[in-house]
Amino acid sequence: MKEEVLFEISSLSRNPLKVKGFRFGREGTTPSCVIVGPMMGTAIDQLWIASQLVRFLRQHELANAAFVKGEILVIPTVNPYSFNMGKNFWPLDNTDIDVMFPGYDKGETTQRIAARLFEKTNNYDYAILLEARKDHVECIPYVEVLESGMNYIEDARAFGLDFIHVKEETPNDTVSLTYNWNVWNAKAFSLISGKKGILHKHEANKVFDAIVRFLVKKELIDFSTFEGSHGNLVMPNDIEAIKSSAAGLFDTLANIGDSVVHGQPLARIFNSLDGTLIQTIISPCDGIISCRYDYSLIFQNAIAYRIVKVESAQNTL
Amino acid sequence: MIEEVFNVNLPVNETLTLRRNRFSPEDISTSTKRISIVTGTHGDEIEGQYVCYLLAKWLNANKHCIKGIVDIYPAMNPMGIDSITRGFPFYDVDLNRNFPGNTSDFLPSQVANAIVDTVRGSDFAIDIHASNIFLRELPQVRISRSTADELIPLAEKLDIEFIWVHDAVTVLESTFAHAMNSIGTKTLVVEMGVGMRITKEYGQSLTKGILNLLAHVGIIERAVLPTTKTTVSNLHSEVFFVNASKSGIFIPILEHNVTVLKGEKLGEIIDPLSGRILETLISPCNGLLFTIREYPVVYEGSLLARILEDPKEDTAL
Ligand SMILES: [Zn+2]
Repeated sequence: MKEEVLFEISSLSRNPLKVKGFRFGREGTTPSCVIVGPMMGTAIDQLWIASQLVRFLRQHELANAAFVKGEILVIPTVNPYSFNMGKNFWPLDNTDIDVMFPGYDKGETTQRIAARLFEKTNNYDYAILLEARKDHVECIPYVEVLESGMNYIEDARAFGLDFIHVKEETPNDTVSLTYNWNVWNAKAFSLISGKKGILHKHEANKVFDAIVRFLVKKELIDFSTFEGSHGNLVMPNDIEAIKSSAAGLFDTLANIGDSVVHGQPLARIFNSLDGTLIQTIISPCDGIISCRYDYSLIFQNAIAYRIVKVESAQNTL
Repeated sequence: MIEEVFNVNLPVNETLTLRRNRFSPEDISTSTKRISIVTGTHGDEIEGQYVCYLLAKWLNANKHCIKGIVDIYPAMNPMGIDSITRGFPFYDVDLNRNFPGNTSDFLPSQVANAIVDTVRGSDFAIDIHASNIFLRELPQVRISRSTADELIPLAEKLDIEFIWVHDAVTVLESTFAHAMNSIGTKTLVVEMGVGMRITKEYGQSLTKGILNLLAHVGIIERAVLPTTKTTVSNLHSEVFFVNASKSGIFIPILEHNVTVLKGEKLGEIIDPLSGRILETLISPCNGLLFTIREYPVVYEGSLLARILEDPKEDTAL
């Protein structure tokens, strides 16, 4: 293992922000894989996953010098500054690094961070980004592939996670890291899981296992793991978004990963002053809860749950 | 007439309401022209509040001149404006990157959708921004090159200091202006002043400009005044960006809205701890200093100034 400072950004009063990379195997060999941890300073699950991965790879490489067959680079996070303040985005201007790609080395600070990260990561066969969802939800672990990555969707199965979401591309996606990896011909995947601000070890460890499985299947490491799931393809229309019709205290009755049936109560919303039950949210379909709103006060018309509809099961070939 | 165009319940005993003030003539026909004046999408930008006030005040006092419909929307992000929050509070996203919005997505996207729905059908719209808390801007209209032919003649009627025609950027397709332009409402984006402040002279001058535009398109009955101020950045002049290459405290030497010469000193980045000058910023060209850093703390990369280069003489024919 080689521990490197990939780049630095200085600050007026803080110590410089140092972005560290942990390199395994031999630089410049194939197959190669880069794994980038969270850009958002509250994605603690993802920091856990990335750091545990460094630990795992280091221990095995120490025991067996040929453990890593190509090259693996792990960058646990590019944003220690925000982690150290409990902030999602860049401390000074609240910009999201993940909307700055491919970056611009003569531009704004976060464009420069993006440019430097991109330069260090755009030359790998496989590129994996660890993300928490940016909205107020917790979700089961899933692989996300952009529409432009449909040609390598089969590779996403190597993670062995239950669901592979195909994301419809919007103008906002053109400035994301995974989109730009795609443009540079890496097979790019986002692994999304958990909930911001808290360590969900159970979900996080599933993602960790998925990455190890992927590295095994892609012959990047000399190791064996259990088979995972075959992977269900989830297209944008396969998700049912279930909204609250009332605002108030949100009392959830169902968990992420639960199988639910049409008509099943999922949550209750109570008036936050007089305690009146104002809505019982009912599942409109059969399926599995992939995402749940994660805050106990809910707005009217907020998305309370996302359910992968059972009828989408036919997508799996 | 003050109307509510969107309501959503918040969790604890409050409703979030978007309001507009509609001024219209006695009789309306299908040929009646309509304009929407929109501002307050970014909650830390207040300059537009004063313009809305001045405009509404003028229209209240000159009802007999009103021949078309003027809709004034001062607060697209009401919670943001009332709390110095640039993004959409709670969700921490930029409302102006969520257009045209969607009724089945999260609240910011629903609000964006409601704004598009209510402004839809306007012949014209003006979206007033006030930069951000970091930069002070000379009043300017920003136009994407793809809509320049259509919008420049209209923008010129605002008699504003400067029209900046910039290249089309995919990510800006998620802005209000792009959403409206693509459904047939000619929409101008005005940037002026600085976040968290009101620059009275800019507000007064833009209000005059808007009244002039209204007269020009027949929405109010009033003499159209000749315009005097506008320069257009096009193929003949370039905009130069000056970014910090050191982190520190920026002390400007020049005020903005001045003509600078190539090599002239714009400001310094200083280090309060060592008492040293870390960097001296020099103008890269002869031109108009139209953007200057207002907020002193800078990181490497922070934008400090923008200069519109004087038109090159050798470009004739
Ligand atoms: Zn703005």
